[in-house]
Formats: sequence, structure tokens, C-alpha cells
Amino acid sequence: MSGTNATAVDPKSGAAGNSAAQRSSAVPPLGPERPVAWPKRSVKTLANGLQVVLAEVHTFPKITAQLFFRSGNALVAHTTPGLAEMTATVVRTGTASRPSRQIEEDLRRMGGDLGTNAGADSSAISIAGLSEFSEGLLELVADLARNASFPAEEFERERRQKIEGLRIERTTPGFLANERFRQVLFGQHPYAVISPTEEQVASYQREQLENFYRENYSPANALLIVVGDFASEAMFAQIEKIFGEWKSSTPEPPKSPAPPRNIGRKVHLVHLPGSVQTQLVVGNLGITRRDPDWMRLVIANSIYGGAFHSRLVMNIREQKGYTYSPRSGIQSMRQQGFFNVHAAVRNDVAAASLTEIFYEMDRMRSLPVSDEELESARSYLTGVFSLGVATQDGVLGQLSTIYLDRLPEDHLETYRARIHALTAADIILAARKYFDSANAQIVVVGDKAQIGEQAALFGEVTEYNAGA
Amino acid sequence: MKNLHIPVGHTTLANGLRVVVSPDRSAPVVTVGVYYQIGFRLEPFGRSGFAHLFEHMMFQGSANAGKMEHIRLINSSGGMLNGTTNYDITNYFESVPSNALARVLWLEADRMRALKVDDENLRNQRDVVKEEVRVNVMNQPYGGFPWLDLPPVAFRNWPNAHNFYGDFADLDAATLADVQHFFHTYYAPNNAVLLMVGDLDPAESFALAKRYFEDIPTHPLPPVADVSEPPQTEERRGAVPEKFGPLPAIAIGYTFPPRDNPDWYAAAILDRALHGGRVGRVYRRLVLEKEIAVETDGGADIIETNGPTQMVTRIFHTPDDNSDDVIAAFDEVIREIQEQGVTEEELAPVKVKLRADFYSNLEGGMGAHMPRFGLMHYLACFTLFDGDPNRINTVLDGFQAVTAAQVQAVAKKYLVPKNRAILVRQPVAKAAA
Repeated sequence: MSGTNATAVDPKSGAAGNSAAQRSSAVPPLGPERPVAWPKRSVKTLANGLQVVLAEVHTFPKITAQLFFRSGNALVAHTTPGLAEMTATVVRTGTASRPSRQIEEDLRRMGGDLGTNAGADSSAISIAGLSEFSEGLLELVADLARNASFPAEEFERERRQKIEGLRIERTTPGFLANERFRQVLFGQHPYAVISPTEEQVASYQREQLENFYRENYSPANALLIVVGDFASEAMFAQIEKIFGEWKSSTPEPPKSPAPPRNIGRKVHLVHLPGSVQTQLVVGNLGITRRDPDWMRLVIANSIYGGAFHSRLVMNIREQKGYTYSPRSGIQSMRQQGFFNVHAAVRNDVAAASLTEIFYEMDRMRSLPVSDEELESARSYLTGVFSLGVATQDGVLGQLSTIYLDRLPEDHLETYRARIHALTAADIILAARKYFDSANAQIVVVGDKAQIGEQAALFGEVTEYNAGA
Repeated sequence: MKNLHIPVGHTTLANGLRVVVSPDRSAPVVTVGVYYQIGFRLEPFGRSGFAHLFEHMMFQGSANAGKMEHIRLINSSGGMLNGTTNYDITNYFESVPSNALARVLWLEADRMRALKVDDENLRNQRDVVKEEVRVNVMNQPYGGFPWLDLPPVAFRNWPNAHNFYGDFADLDAATLADVQHFFHTYYAPNNAVLLMVGDLDPAESFALAKRYFEDIPTHPLPPVADVSEPPQTEERRGAVPEKFGPLPAIAIGYTFPPRDNPDWYAAAILDRALHGGRVGRVYRRLVLEKEIAVETDGGADIIETNGPTQMVTRIFHTPDDNSDDVIAAFDEVIREIQEQGVTEEELAPVKVKLRADFYSNLEGGMGAHMPRFGLMHYLACFTLFDGDPNRINTVLDGFQAVTAAQVQAVAKKYLVPKNRAILVRQPVAKAAA
């Protein structure tokens, strides 16, 4: 690595006594760290069970809000995969009093953007718009949450669009790799399914959407977060008025079979004819954010491949030029987490890239990181965390992590201190437990004529056809 | 209606570097950018992709910060960084905790003063760029559609009409001498603007800018490239095979008035009546009412360009429909707005939405970890292209003043066949898997 000279101070320019040269050759030190003041937030639970979190951010005259329901696609993965997502999609297309066009016109009138979607563990209605219209924006959210009418024509059209969207997704190398990876990792567990098949979508019944909506879009199952330019007391009063009459039922939490225990490296090759690049995903099951090891894993991942200056990016991008955007990540879902590494690499270096991915994993598992690397990673994580305080979206994202995952209330306030307390021993512990290189699963998407032999060097190969 | 006033301070250093600051002390972070007035439109003739390849080289080392030092120093200061190449500008930017402001300026000044790269760096980044092109274009359904496909159909002058990401043969032809020459030609303080937005004190920031940048020598700049287009006399059409995706896709681009034209504001409003999500006329008619399209989107990048630019509509439809029928349905939408114009009931909400989008863009505009990127970006464009960063506070007034009659007039004037280009991506027949 060429970046081994840690500081760029050139002693010669100092000796020359040239103040301009001196000024330009020494890296300026950091000033004292400024405290990060998280916006003051207030939390209240309405009588109907709706949990409400408010945070005032006054820099722009707008609000950003999200109403979450703690039920997503995992709940229906074994019966009607993707039904939560389809339900969310159709929710925005009509209510008892507003046809689809009215909803869209109302939004534009208030400068609003609306999104409705569902992930594995939750469904959400998201809205943003000018703060002068906050009442109308929240009334629209409440209308969608309480009175969605699932118009038959809108349902049919959205379903056709969804099918076409799935056809495109299944020609996208990154999607194909993630889809296969999740199936391999999660087996019979609902997290195995990231998207339904065309046939499954085609068989949805409108009544199934209505049932999912009735059972899960309910205040006791919901969390409302509003961030933006408002006074909290007045906003609570408004929310009480808009959401207070909403009646509740509580859905059953899902029971899930355990994911499989994958022993030994295995290769899963998805054949995409004509592919001029190879999409790699490597990884294993991990932990959730509620696990005591989570922060250890955060910093280990950051040093391994979670940042631009991480080891993996330096190695296979900046030294070897195999790929443009390699990265590793740790994902926390409600029941399970996982670790993954992804890179889209030149076909002729697929095997070489995998070798480096495992080499860097094993290095993390066997050798302690240097003090300098440790300090750099701590500083990176605490700094990037503070960037999230500067936008309404950033604040909302952080708050939703706390309240959806039911983390301690002071999670944000203590985050920097917890990062600063991490040591090299924590990192090696996390790497040994969660960068499971011996049992990692390898997904390779590409043209098998180009990469089949390279893939076989890493374990027993199972082949699949793209889109099949 | 609650209006927003953005504080803006600006100065010009002795070497011609413009410096713009906008304080906002609500969070202890600052976003810094250096924008050079050179983009892929202006890259050397016959060297497609060079401006972007060069952008990568700017991360490969400067006199006092070797390869990877720039990235390491920003990340280990708690910051994020990136660079992008655009039509008329190339930008380099960082968001960091504000205690790292001096360090960021030092790094940006170091690479403005002296790029220090070698053949190995060039070979390495050429490989990286090729993988970038593969992952974003060659190995993706609808990759590069239509930002790479449409300009060669729409335009005749090479700066506007070539492959901006670069043909691999042209990338291979790039030498280290080309890199240094390009650097000495365009990467001059007098061809750039430095921006700082966020947790800062304007006087201190100007002093830091002076300290780190003012002794970087001025270079003579080459004459401004001629990016004008010969007059178009008829509709232009092109076709590109779609290798992966299953749906035919159509891009329709109308050349829009330049930024100093009085029609510029009305054209932006027209764009937003036609596009702008599900409520826009194109989506409503083609996707919701006629169901002849699966998806449509579109828009025009008018603030960010300083030369011929288009309002582009993208339409995806199923193979069951003929592309000509889909275009005919689109033409109906155009004819209606030309013949009947827009009503006050449509115009007023379009303006409200534009204002809301403008604020959202100023606040973020580049993911979760680049606060105020949009503000910085607009300030840079207003400074470089209009010579007036304070336009950030007046540009909305221009949009708000547009009348329904003006919208109809620009629809009649610009949305005509001899001002448009159409590109169709037709899926190739697939062999059975």
C-alpha cells in the first residue's frame, strides 16, 4: 500500500524556512471536537397505542414524517410473498373520500412527496412537504392509514406494473446476487425472500391486501416520527386531533423457523449469459443491533470494507483496479443480521478478487489492527454519525433505528462515547466471530463460460439460471 | 408562505479563485467543495471520457498528500468525500465535522497547486473507470439510458454529442502527459470556485481560503469552447439495442432555452407541469389513464448546465404496444398543453411543489451524509455560470412570476418536432435460457 507514510510533513520545506511552502506541506491538525447536539425530541404514546416521536429541526421550512407499522413482508413470506409491499403500493391509490388523482393533487398543492413501501419487518407511509401545510400532510397520512379503499382498477394496474418491475429486477446483476445470497443464507426463514415471483404477484387477491391492511395498519402496531420546522406542543395537539380517534387491534408477531447453518464455503453461480462483468456477494449470518457485540462489529466492518479508506477498497480497487465499488456491510433486521461483501469485478479477475476478499477477512481475524488504524476508524465513525444530524432525513433515520429496534433512549447521545471506548481486542473478537471466512457463502453472477472454472476453485458449485 | 433567506458571502482572491460561504450553525458539520469549470462537454476532441478519468486522477496524489492520503485524511477526520464530472463542471467535495475545515482546505489547495501522479496510478484508475462503466452501463438493464444514448442523436457538435463516459479505446489512449496537460490547462484557481457551507464563521473561512489558496499561481485559460449547435431543421431519431431489459424504452428530448434566455423560467414550469411524479401530465395520461406505458419519468437539469440541454421524458412500455403508438399518446399530451395551456389551478400547485423541492434539494441533495450538498452545488453554478451566488435567494421569485400565458408560449415554441430527438431502446431477442 502506498499510503503507509502517515503524515505528509516534508522536513525539507520546513528547513528552507519558506513560510508558504511550510504552510502547504504540513497537514493541519484537527480543531477541538465540537459537541453534537441532537435535536430535542419528545415522545408520547396516545391512548390508542400510537407511539409518537417528535424532533424539531428549524433550518428549512419543511417537515419530514414517517408512519411505521411493525409488520412487513416477513409476516407473509410463507403464504403470499411480497404482499406487504403490494399492500403499501396500493394504499396510496385511494381512500374512502379521495380518489387517486385527488391524493396526488393534494400532495402537489402542499409541496408534498409521498412514499409507501414495506421491508421485511415493517411497512411505512412517508411524507415530506412544506411546514405551512403540516396539518394537511398529516391528515393525508392518517387518511391513507385508516381509510384506504383499494380501488379494484388501481390494484390491477399496480399489479401489472409490479410484474414488469420484477422482470427488470431479474435482469439486474446486483439484484440477482442479493436474491440468491438471501436464499442461501436464510433457507426456510422468511428473510430468505426479498422479492416475489411474477406468478405470486399475479395470484394476489384484492381481499388479501385489505386483510393485511386491516390486521396490521393499526395504531398499537405503529410508530409515527415527525421531524422538522414546528413547535412540539402544537404538533402533539395536532397529532392527537388527527390520529386520536383511530381504533386499534394488535397483530400476532410472526413465528419463524431458524435459518440454516451453512458449513463450509459453497459457491452459488447464477448464470447470466453475455454478462461482461462478475457480480460477487460473499457473507454469512451475523447479529442484530441489539446484540452486545454490535458496536464491535461496526468498527471491524468499517476497517475491513465499510469505508472508502478501508482495507478491501484499498486492495482491490486502489491497488489492483479489479473493481469500481467494492464494499462490505452489516445488516440488522429484527430477528437476524448478516454480513456481506459485494463487488462487481472484471471477469478475468473473479477468482483473484475472491482470494483478496478472503485474505482481508483472515487478516482481520488473525492480526490486531494498529493504533493508527483504530483511531482513524473511531474518528470516521463518530464524524460520519454527526453528519446525520444535519438533515431532517438524517435525524428521522436515526430516530427510526432507535424506536423500531427498541434501542435505549440515549442511543444517539452515547454513540460517540461507545465508539471511542472500542479497542483492537474488540475488533479481533468481532472479526473472529462474524467474518466467518471458512463457512462463508459465495454468490457469483455472470456468464458461466467466463467464470465457471474460477468459481469452482472456492468450493462446491451449485448453478442457477438468471430469472429462473 | 414562509420564505427562506440563505446567508451568502463571497470574495475573489488575488489569483482569481472565487470563494463563497454560507454559514448555518445548526449542526457541527461543514460541506466544502471545489468546482472547476471543465466538464465532459469540454474535454479534448477525440478523447471521450477524459474529463471523468481525470477526475479519478485527482484522488491519486498531490505534492504533499500521496496516493490514498487524501481519502484517508478525510475519512479519518470523520468525513465523507466524492467527486463528479458533469456537462460543464467537475466538482470535488467533502462533508466533515467542522473542526476539520482547515485540513480539508489544505488538501483541496494541495491538489489544485500540484497534482503528483504516475503511470501506475493512471493504469490503475483506467481499470477502475472501465469497471465503473461496466457496472453502470454495459452490464445493467437500461444502463446509460438515456444520458449516454440521447446526446449523440440529439446533437451535432462533438462537445455535446460524444460518449461522455468514454470509449475504452480512447481511455486506453490517455497518457500521463495528457493528464498533466489537462491539469495545467483547466485546473487553475481562476477557473474555479471554492465553497464552504455549514458550521463556519465567514471571516475566518475567508482567511483560511486566503491562507491556503491565494499563492497558487493563476494560469492563462484557453478560449471558451464553442458548444453551440447548428440549427436543427427536423426531428432526429435513433435506436439502441437493449441487451438485458425486457421492455422497450423511449427517450424524448426537447432542447431547452439557455440560462440567460427570458424563456428559461417558464420552460422550467412547463417541465414540471409535464413531469413531477404521478401528478404530472405525462405519467397521468400514459400510465394511469391510457395504461399504454408501465413507467414514465423525466425532467430538465437547467440550473446545472451552461450549454445546450434538453428536457427529457423516459417512457417504458410493454412489447404489446408499438413504440410509435406510445409516442403518439405522448404527442397528444404535448398538443393539449400547446393548445389549451395550463390553468391557474394547475400553475399554483406546480409552483408550490417547485419551492418545496428547491428547499429539499438545498438541505441534502446527495444522500444522507452530504448535508447541504444541493445548496453548495447551486451556489457553485450561480457563481460560475451567472457570476452571482446571491441568485440562490432570487431564483425562486423568477419561477413564481411565470404566468400561464408564458407556459403556453414556451410549449408552442420549444415542444416542436424540429427541436426534439427520440431514442428507442429495443430489447434484443433472447435465446432460451
